[in-house]
Amino acid sequence: MTDIAVHVDDVSKKFRLYHERNQSLKSAIMRRKISVHEDFWALRDITFDVPTGSTFGLIGSNGSGKSTLLKCLAKILYPETGTITANGKVAALLEVGSGFHPELSGRENVFLNGSILGMSRKEIQRKFDEIVDFSGVEQFIDQPVKNYSSGMYVRLGFAVAINVDPDILVVDEVLAVGDAEFQQKCFQKFEDFKAAGKTVILVSHSMGSVKTMCDHAAWINKGHLELVGEIDPVIAAYENSYPHQP
Amino acid sequence: MQYLRDLASARELLANLTLRDIRGQYKRTIFGRLWSLASPLASMLVYTFVFAFIFRVKPDPGDPSGVNVFAIWLLCGLLPWTFFSTALSTSMGSIVGGAGLITKVYFPRMVLPISSVLTVGYNWLFEMAVLTIALFVVGAFVLPWLPLVLLMMVLLAVFATGVGLILAVANVYFRDTQYLLGIVLQIWMYLTPIVYPSTLVSDASKSVGGLFGTPITVWDIYELNPMLHFVNVFRNLMYDNRFADPADVLACVAWAVVALVVGMWVFARKEKRLAEIL
Repeated sequence: MTDIAVHVDDVSKKFRLYHERNQSLKSAIMRRKISVHEDFWALRDITFDVPTGSTFGLIGSNGSGKSTLLKCLAKILYPETGTITANGKVAALLEVGSGFHPELSGRENVFLNGSILGMSRKEIQRKFDEIVDFSGVEQFIDQPVKNYSSGMYVRLGFAVAINVDPDILVVDEVLAVGDAEFQQKCFQKFEDFKAAGKTVILVSHSMGSVKTMCDHAAWINKGHLELVGEIDPVIAAYENSYPHQP
Repeated sequence: MQYLRDLASARELLANLTLRDIRGQYKRTIFGRLWSLASPLASMLVYTFVFAFIFRVKPDPGDPSGVNVFAIWLLCGLLPWTFFSTALSTSMGSIVGGAGLITKVYFPRMVLPISSVLTVGYNWLFEMAVLTIALFVVGAFVLPWLPLVLLMMVLLAVFATGVGLILAVANVYFRDTQYLLGIVLQIWMYLTPIVYPSTLVSDASKSVGGLFGTPITVWDIYELNPMLHFVNVFRNLMYDNRFADPADVLACVAWAVVALVVGMWVFARKEKRLAEIL
């Protein structure tokens, strides 16, 4: 076991800003090009290490590139340059209930969603009770999920995701789901996760939850890495960067 | 290699996605899976009326099976064709349709088009079973040929997957693909001997001779169609109850392998950018 969970090395990601995009063959042929675009670098030369067993926060203002970085970590987007090396199994929680089919029952959807997130059938069977218990929808598990309330839907999705049991968990702002009691359960789960020596990387706008949960953080501003390290100095620097409202 | 290993480890996901589509497909219908038989049955009635009753198309009776029923002869070619064309359309739309998943979760993207081919294939299996029963009723002894028929079904599914992978990527870049495909499939169907026997084409080709002073005949061009060979093989096995022409089988294998290799190569190259472009 190394003490670095994720090594982000010199990562840059560019997007194309389209001034003209010919998504139909006719326009592509008539204009003799597929698109007119300029490059926009959402991430520029980001390098940092996430220590194993830490809860690592990514902070920054809107549009700073946090989510892009998170998607690169989750292997949904691929950086133009640089590499991301992860020591262990990575699971990403960018959305809950991915691939739920509304007409299928909760039970069928647990198996479907679990396998989308990379769990084997045996694993899901073993954890099935735990998942249902955590979600708190026992009574309705054989009902089609289209009849679920939005809260139940999200809780079931979250319960599956949290039970994937990866070495590294990448979380977008999905913590804000469910009622207070469920949130309490989630925080508890993250604590257990940490206690088991697993790594969590999360993006959040709520400085409060970042402060209470994270021990390390990276501050990203306009695609550049401003500061990385222990939580307190990073948050202090971030909060000092914008003028406080009186 | 790593890529193929990833794909192999995603087979449970593939099974689950396919099951999702199969189970979800006919939910809340009274007749359920019977609907998948309705459309080929309707086409059968229409084509039989137009081509056998009005135009008097007479295919040769099955040799050696002796079966001489136009509707059954038609279905032996029509069912593989409908599978092929439906598999192409659904796998083409699978990536654009699965945008919600692709932009949120990592998994080998190839699973989506493959699972749509499998879903369509499941319905096809059902239709072929019914056709087998019908063949029994009209007196074809199809039982010993069923293993070969199954093998050919797999081969056609492989061919459809290969073409579907290319179309799925093309559709992400150009949404025209879906409209274009509809027209191409319509033309393609009539270029394949499904509603008429291919002997009509070879006879006509002989009377015309070489095109524009070259030794190339219409038949030579006609034979380039991969579906011609698939339909021939299916008819030989099911309607005639005899071994297919090895040249036809070889052509089927070659087309399937080439389509799959090219399809996977194109898909693997473009896969990483799909989430961004969708």
